[in-house]
Amino acid sequence: MPTRSPLPLSYDSLMKKHIAIVEDEPALRDNYAAALARQGYGVKTYGNRKSAMQAFLSHLPDLAIIDISLADEAEGGFDLCRELRALSAELPIIFLTARDSELDAVSGLRLGADDFLTKDVSLPHLAARVAALFRRIDALRRPDNAAQIVRRGALSIDGEKMQTTWNGAPVTLSLTEFWIVHALARNPGHVKNRQQLMDAANVVLDDNTITSHIKRVRRKFQHIDAAFDAIQTVYGMGYRWIE
Amino acid sequence: MSIRLQLLIVALTTLFLPWAGCQYAQELESALRGSQEQSLLASAGTIANALSAQPQRVFRDTGDSPRFDAEHGDIYIYPLRNQPLLDGYRDDWDVPAAPAPLPSATGYGARLQAGSTGRYLYLYLEVDDLHFTAEPSDPNPAKDRFNRVELTLRGQGDAPETYFFATAAPGLIGAQTLQKGDESGRAVAEPRIQAFWLQTAKGYHLEARVPLSFVGSHLWIKALDGGSGRAAGVSPADAPQGGRLFYATAGLNELLAIFIRDGTRATVIDANALKLGVAGNLNPIVLDAEEPRHTWYRRLIAVNSSRLPLRSSAPDRLDDHSVAAALAGRPHAEWLRTGANPELLLSAAAPILVDGRVQGAVVLEQAGDQLMALRDRALNRLFNLTLTATALAVVIMFGFATWISLRIGRLRTAADSAVGSDGSIRLNMPESTRADEIGALSRGFERLLARLNEHTQYLRTLGGKLSHELRTPLTIVRSSLDNLESEGLRDDQRLYITRAREGTQRLQSILSALGAAARVEESIKQAERVNFDLREVLIAAVAAYRDGFPQVRIELATPEDPCFIRGAPDLIVQMLDKLVENAVDFCPAGGSIVVRLERSLGSYLLEVSNDGPPIPQSLFEHLFESLFEQRPGRDDKPHFGLGLYIVRLIAEFHGGSALAANRPDGTGAVFTVTLPVI
Repeated sequence: MPTRSPLPLSYDSLMKKHIAIVEDEPALRDNYAAALARQGYGVKTYGNRKSAMQAFLSHLPDLAIIDISLADEAEGGFDLCRELRALSAELPIIFLTARDSELDAVSGLRLGADDFLTKDVSLPHLAARVAALFRRIDALRRPDNAAQIVRRGALSIDGEKMQTTWNGAPVTLSLTEFWIVHALARNPGHVKNRQQLMDAANVVLDDNTITSHIKRVRRKFQHIDAAFDAIQTVYGMGYRWIE
Repeated sequence: MSIRLQLLIVALTTLFLPWAGCQYAQELESALRGSQEQSLLASAGTIANALSAQPQRVFRDTGDSPRFDAEHGDIYIYPLRNQPLLDGYRDDWDVPAAPAPLPSATGYGARLQAGSTGRYLYLYLEVDDLHFTAEPSDPNPAKDRFNRVELTLRGQGDAPETYFFATAAPGLIGAQTLQKGDESGRAVAEPRIQAFWLQTAKGYHLEARVPLSFVGSHLWIKALDGGSGRAAGVSPADAPQGGRLFYATAGLNELLAIFIRDGTRATVIDANALKLGVAGNLNPIVLDAEEPRHTWYRRLIAVNSSRLPLRSSAPDRLDDHSVAAALAGRPHAEWLRTGANPELLLSAAAPILVDGRVQGAVVLEQAGDQLMALRDRALNRLFNLTLTATALAVVIMFGFATWISLRIGRLRTAADSAVGSDGSIRLNMPESTRADEIGALSRGFERLLARLNEHTQYLRTLGGKLSHELRTPLTIVRSSLDNLESEGLRDDQRLYITRAREGTQRLQSILSALGAAARVEESIKQAERVNFDLREVLIAAVAAYRDGFPQVRIELATPEDPCFIRGAPDLIVQMLDKLVENAVDFCPAGGSIVVRLERSLGSYLLEVSNDGPPIPQSLFEHLFESLFEQRPGRDDKPHFGLGLYIVRLIAEFHGGSALAANRPDGTGAVFTVTLPVI
């Protein structure tokens, strides 16, 4: 699939990352746009799937933040994600939604989204998340740099590239998941409660969502190594990494 | 009172049917009686008219005569159909009436009956005398004292002739008479007048036969006791005007027989009410053995003949009310009792007028028992039919009522259990396809339940919906605050921003609590079951709670061995969270909470008990329901009545149950979750 890169028009625009926000709630859309613009990103906002897709066909953004339910389409965000992923395999996509059911999160991540955030996330957190995602992209494009790598037995975490490998095999984690694993693995044996994990991942999630994230992380590792059991549940307290 | 009983009582009102039937039968009977009276009166009138046209065949003497007077020795002579055998018994007389007592001044008991065939006059005499004095060999009635019967006959205008019967030994004897002119009283036999003397235990019977040629218009008879001088009866010396003979008119019986039908008795009486002729007979009723004469229900309804006058039993005369009326010139019919079979008699009397004067009367009698029997039969049948119908109606109504109350009972049971303890609503009611009112009621219930269900569903999803729908505006507020903060604010402005942010955080936690049940339900759907050690989970979790709630003491008691159950440990921890949070909420500061795990008969009992106020009895059954919240006072945390509901959801997911109780000593509440052992 040919990758369409954004066409730089000027230096400024060349350096500036362009973010597309697809959100049907104007006030929210504008608030996000303002916050991200303040961080120095070029922001384009779209109110529905059609107008967004039209714009994407002519010009791909560097990152897309998509709401799941769009105007009259309850799952328009999923469709948009699918179409966008068809246009570009690498374009980072973040779902930002009021829906917090685990099913939605799973569906979104399966469609190839890089992260799944609920609207409880604060603007600074969102900005940090966006920055992190860009950092991951940039780090991936740069040559290897071993400085940031954390190794815990079979696990190795590249904090720069936000990449995780188990026994050398890459584990594709979403950003939230990455930070959860990162927080756990940095201090093996220490119990991290849910709040700490949320803080690490820069998200506001309820306990159930943390639980399901942990579950998904385990599953992803077990996909590579069926015997994986490094993440232990400490009931009533949280989780810890054991080597 | 149950519907069944009510309908049963209503069904008993069909007992009016037999009652009404009886009334009808009575009316029918009186109508039948009336018509019978009318027709009998008409017949009597017809016969009376026919007889008044030929008075010479009816009355011997159409002239006026003094009234019949038994005291003065007047004798009524019954017509005899056959010649009786002279044997001292009157079995062969064919006269139903008993002999009439003879007048006696001395208390001497004697009874007489007279009858006549075409040729003879018969006399039958019963005398009570225990001391029989035989006739001497040469009797002289004037001076000898011996038991004898004196008979004096007087023809028309003749001088009276006196005969006497006496004997030395019972048997057939002849009469004797005193020779005329012989004052010494020598007796001469008169063999044409014969008699049979029969000695009995009480006295003697005398059955005598006198040729009618001897008999004139008068006859005196007197029984004399040989020893004491007592006597009964009259002699010409006692009653010179007495001793008249009253005959039934010869040939009148045959004449009457022409007029009457079988089953009717016709009697012609003269102006003295003496019988002149009788024809026909009353058919006694032959009753079916199966038909009881007096059925019990005749007591219930007024079928009573005892008020009717008793028929006079005098053999020679009729003196009923109707006869008196007829002799006064008015035809009259009346009902009489006889005291024998036939029991009831209809008697109709019509006067016989000769030359404008009442010379006698025709009395027709018919058995009324036919009517009575007819009525009884009708009543019987009516009673049986209506009673059967009533019984059937009662049975049918009872069955119907049972069916109805069964249906209503089913409906009630369904209505009682329509709302399950978990708040789920069963929409299908029984009977709803029926077209009747119960069906309509059931459909009404269904509609009501459907509405209730919609309402409940709405309420149940309201939390989730609210938490979802309010999230976007809340996010707008929060993101706006975020943007505002980054604009660079003065400190006083920042203060307000901080307050607004605190408010949004409170809102956030409220929304999160609202959606908690929905999220738990969803995680239950997706939960995977594994085998895990409940004890280990408890130990870890309680350690965390001790850190989390330092204001209370949390004690843990578990068995020594691992306690494996199958389920989702995360959910169990959530359940425990809710139980412990709940316990902490109600536990006074410094109080203690006890978490206890026990094994009991194939299941684990997980108990969380806390010091604090006991739970009111009325709340027990509702505590675990969705959206049930009753807390005294307020605290700063939002409560939506979902905590214990979540406990129950999770307990049920594990195949167990949740139960609330108070400590036996009333020092606090105990929540117990039962979880099955693998």
